[in-house]
Amino acid sequence: MSAVSTEPNGVPVPYEAGAVFSADATSIGSLTIEDEVALASGERLMTLNMGPQHPSTHGVLRVVLKLDGELIVECDPVIGYLHRGTEKLGEHHRYAQVLPWTDRTDYVAAPMNNLGCAMAFEKLCGVEAPERAQYWRVIMSELARIASHLVWLGTHALDIGALSMSLYCFRERELILDLFEAFCGARLTTNMMEIGGFSRPIPENMVGMVRDFLRIFPERQQEYADLLSANPIWMARTKGVGVIPAEAAINYSLTGACLRGSGVNYDIRKAMPYCVYDRLDFEVPLGQHGDTYDRYLVRMEEMRQTIKIIGQALDQCERMDTPLMAYESEYVIPPHKGTMTTAEDMQRHFIWVIKGFSPPVGEAYVAVEHPKGELGYYVVSDGSPLPYRFRIRSPDFVNLGVLPFMATGSMLADVVALIGTIDIVLGSVDR
Amino acid sequence: MTIQPNYPDDPGVEREQALTEATSLVAQSPDASEASAPVSDVEGMKEALLDDDEATWSRDRWFHDDIETHPALKVLRTAFPDVIVDAVRFRNETTIHVTRQQWRTICLFLKDEPRVQLNFLTDLTAVDMLRLRETPRFDVVAQLYSLPNRTRLRLKTGVDDGEPVPSLVPIWNGANWLERECYDMFGIIFEGHPNLRRMLLPDDWDEGHPLRKDYPLRGWREFPVYNTERTVGRVRTRWSGRGVS
Amino acid sequence: MGLVHDRYDKNVFITSLDFLFNWARRSSLWWLQFGLACCAIEMIAASMARFDLAERFGMLYRASPRQADLMIIAGTVTKKMAPVVRTLYDQMPEPKWVVSMGSCANVGGPYDTYAVVQGVDQVIPVDIYVPGCPPTPEALYYGIIELQNKVIKYETMARKQGVSAAEEQRLAERQAAMAALDAVPATPGF
Repeated sequence: MSAVSTEPNGVPVPYEAGAVFSADATSIGSLTIEDEVALASGERLMTLNMGPQHPSTHGVLRVVLKLDGELIVECDPVIGYLHRGTEKLGEHHRYAQVLPWTDRTDYVAAPMNNLGCAMAFEKLCGVEAPERAQYWRVIMSELARIASHLVWLGTHALDIGALSMSLYCFRERELILDLFEAFCGARLTTNMMEIGGFSRPIPENMVGMVRDFLRIFPERQQEYADLLSANPIWMARTKGVGVIPAEAAINYSLTGACLRGSGVNYDIRKAMPYCVYDRLDFEVPLGQHGDTYDRYLVRMEEMRQTIKIIGQALDQCERMDTPLMAYESEYVIPPHKGTMTTAEDMQRHFIWVIKGFSPPVGEAYVAVEHPKGELGYYVVSDGSPLPYRFRIRSPDFVNLGVLPFMATGSMLADVVALIGTIDIVLGSVDR
Repeated sequence: MTIQPNYPDDPGVEREQALTEATSLVAQSPDASEASAPVSDVEGMKEALLDDDEATWSRDRWFHDDIETHPALKVLRTAFPDVIVDAVRFRNETTIHVTRQQWRTICLFLKDEPRVQLNFLTDLTAVDMLRLRETPRFDVVAQLYSLPNRTRLRLKTGVDDGEPVPSLVPIWNGANWLERECYDMFGIIFEGHPNLRRMLLPDDWDEGHPLRKDYPLRGWREFPVYNTERTVGRVRTRWSGRGVS
Repeated sequence: MGLVHDRYDKNVFITSLDFLFNWARRSSLWWLQFGLACCAIEMIAASMARFDLAERFGMLYRASPRQADLMIIAGTVTKKMAPVVRTLYDQMPEPKWVVSMGSCANVGGPYDTYAVVQGVDQVIPVDIYVPGCPPTPEALYYGIIELQNKVIKYETMARKQGVSAAEEQRLAERQAAMAALDAVPATPGF
């Protein structure tokens, strides 16, 4: 049956016949032939395509919805429009070279990705970063948590209809990006954490700059909370929308605010503390109903706790004068000064850069509490300078799996709220 | 702050249903003759383990250097004596290799066993062992987590190309997407999966499974170039520092 | 513009009118709200509070390709996404311009893999390339200013009509630029 023309509506097919990738290019945004047949035969369901170019799908997510009127009967997220093969790239590059790609998986919280990857490699090699470097890792990754939550808040509110929130949130995010720029020179893709700590010194005025931010931010955040928390429109759009019961959240392997919004207490910083989180005092906020509003409250409270964490970490590490890098290990890049002055260090540096280092045979899984949930790196080493397997367990990929569960039975207009509340970044979903 | 998950316990009825479902799915598989081999003695094992003292099952034992005192390994050895292929401890992490046919049964058992309670599927992926050993070719790896105990366990099973692995979707819905991705990237068939099709790559992708070790990094085929001016090759790179103005 | 397209030869009146049209066009470039990857975040940051790209340049983002003149390819174009990008480009009305933002869209960037198109110009013609991974908002500014300089030279009334004519013109420009590049002697050393 060849009822389907290759050129529907006279739109020319962008590729010649026999091109490899012709999927859906010409049928996006219109009724398919099957739909028209179904409609003509009295079937009431309609298929609606949403994305991959849609203003509120946070990138290139595509959702295929089956609608009965405005009620969603079936929801099928189609991902992979940003699949770039990061895991395959990781298997073809030396350990130290893999780190920059982790920035680009979840690009709104890049230092957090670096942290997880560097910690996985360190665990594989048996290296431990010095105490002061651990503190600065905590500070920088917690700043990244605020930056990520700000992007979430801005875009989520923008999707629901509060346009000005995104302007405010990005204003404060620029302050954090300034801190990143002062710390490592890059705004977005920082490549900040290295295997073994930090090889560059901390800028002199860094503590003061972070403290300035800590002084400014809580008031600003209170403004957002005043704008949204008791706003009747916001509450109508979020309360009771996208409810995930606790059992379902566990069953769907959700992590992060999606899990804690349902009342399950699982935060890796508390459950299996890494870095220096066991010395810092903070609370893990939990939701009660598991709806979109609770997840909003959880994330807002997380930002407040993060401010607390950064303040404590600054207090504890401010007067430290210990090294930042575990130079005694053979898996760590030799010190810059030695490389420039001594022959031994220069040789080591040359071999480290050109040939790489070979961790022992084995495997390691390290998880960190990413703003979106549990970010895990699973690395398998076969004793060669390249990782044998480099797996990113990205939190939003797994969290997005709950979207059909939430969307089925809800209204069409709630889909943007549901996508926003999962807090996805497509680079991390598709990797 | 103590970690107390405040979710209700799994009702016994649902557990029974899931167990029956899992066993029936196993029975339908082509490997049913192997799968139906009597490996499990769950009731007897529970009796045998009841009179141990609490220290044997404490959280410290999960991180003990002697792997034989690991609670998950102990309950598995008692309940399924024949399924454990290997148990490895590296960098404070425990890996248990099990046989393929009992993959789902073991996961369900570890989830429900009250002393282990590995009730959270963190990750499910695979490793292509092509360069490391002859057979089986793939390792399917599941990272399990216990919310009450705050402990991790890595579970592995070996599978050859074309052999089906029992799907974990009847136990955890979270396995749905993870197994689909695994099929997409490695071509491993998960038996009993409701929706096993391409996920990250296009639906009509016919170039194989990219994370296999014999798949080149740049793929097999060139992308069909639309602009005629670019059909010649890649971008011209020059080091002269002067470009098109 | 259909009335005046392709009717007159170049003269003072026509070129002055062209300048007027182009002045209006370059001062209100509406771009397609369309982000692909990391560069999209920088593009959003550029259009938000501090950098304020939209208000300064008279730009406005539109969610529909039918209302846009400018497409900023912000991020990696994968093989799965390439047909969609082409469809969106075809849906935009003439005259239209494309800015390729970031290394991934320019040449594939660090992702030389099975899944990524090595440069968006394999799929659609590109006017301005902005380098960087990702480019800072300032770099995007520079690209937009360069694009405005290009828009002001656009020939509306003396122009041959149709998509194929525009493609031919772009190809001719490109080949001239390549010839100019060939004329430059390569620096010894590399």
